Amino acid sequence: VRFVDEFRDAALGRAVAGEILSLVEPGRHYKVMEVCGGHTHSIYKYGVDDLLPANVELVHGPGCPVCVIPMGRVDDGIAIAHLPDVIFTCFGDMMRVPGSEGSLLEAKAAGADVRMVYSPLDALRIAKQNPDREVVFFAIGFETTAPSTALTLKRARAEGVSNFSCICSHVTIVPPLRALLESPDLRLDGFIGPGHVATVVGARPFEFIPADYGKPVVVAGFEPLDILQSIAMILGQLSEHRCEVENQYKRVVPYEGNLRALEVMQEVFELRPHFEWRGLGFISHSGLKLSEAYADLDAERRFSVPGVRVADPKACQCGEVLKGVIKPWECKVFGTACTPERPIGTCMVSSEGACAAYYNYGRFAREREVV
Amino acid sequence: MTVLRTDPERGLALCADLEGARHTAETALVELPGPGDVLLVHAGVAIATLSAETS
Repeated sequence: VRFVDEFRDAALGRAVAGEILSLVEPGRHYKVMEVCGGHTHSIYKYGVDDLLPANVELVHGPGCPVCVIPMGRVDDGIAIAHLPDVIFTCFGDMMRVPGSEGSLLEAKAAGADVRMVYSPLDALRIAKQNPDREVVFFAIGFETTAPSTALTLKRARAEGVSNFSCICSHVTIVPPLRALLESPDLRLDGFIGPGHVATVVGARPFEFIPADYGKPVVVAGFEPLDILQSIAMILGQLSEHRCEVENQYKRVVPYEGNLRALEVMQEVFELRPHFEWRGLGFISHSGLKLSEAYADLDAERRFSVPGVRVADPKACQCGEVLKGVIKPWECKVFGTACTPERPIGTCMVSSEGACAAYYNYGRFAREREVV
Repeated sequence: MTVLRTDPERGLALCADLEGARHTAETALVELPGPGDVLLVHAGVAIATLSAETS
């Protein structure tokens, strides 16, 4: 299959692993953060970490869209879902994210009309099929997903679908990265940049990382060879004392991004002053809300929501996992009280969550030979 | 996903994923694709056309 088979070639993978081995400095420990949950999933699905020397450590970042949604936002969604005459729609993994008193899936079991959709456009179709009911879409995700929501809202406006609205929990990737770089808990040597977010925003927004913090960034694709090559490129920069943004995923990511997508987002969204992230707390200008031009399609204005901040369960250490401070298996409830079937924390819910990736593909710490 | 056919009037593309399952993708955010083109589709919307030349 074009664009897939050639990036899963085992012989090429071993060759790049050999290149990585030749680039590491003996005795030095390298910490490289993969920002995106899609990368975390691929790393454990394909065993990429098994090909790395032990002194190259992959640290998992905050780029899983479901994982960063705080409990209070889930409670807001559930409150709307329980209103009479509401059809509440969301992506599949969002249905299992725990709020303070259960998940949307449990709300559905209790009688709320909650429906899983593949796209916000599906939610709009449901609204057109049910003109006597209010249809609400729970919009989550980074800049990869936000254009889809924006396009749907533009279409709702153009087609005069007045019974459709959206609870907007979209987030942006740069502010949490800056927060992580400012954190004293974490020392990183470089970043594997989020390829799908960069498809929309381009590689330019990541230039602050080398410019302000002196760390290399390589925007990478999601196949095993993409990830291995991006690690080799980061180590190459470090060995040559270079520090810049490189684009390994050129077959998809234009350096300037998708201008049409950025334009539609600019029209429909504006930045919130603050947004709460699970485990990371409130981060300035990191969340999106609907612009004034689309305010009538904003479910948070159309309906009354609790809007209460809810603390994470004490047993759950998703916050430390999302910040890359601990590995999933270091959490007290990993794989025992918290499993993909009965998740306590969000990182165990989505396939892009670090805990789910470890549980499904790795589970335990692995001994590797130190170079 | 690989484009099987397009509906330029509605801005839609019928695509097949790696397993052969068929999906409809909105194409408003990319240049109108043609059959055989490969799209990166996210939440039902194509956000990029893959380019063999720049791989």
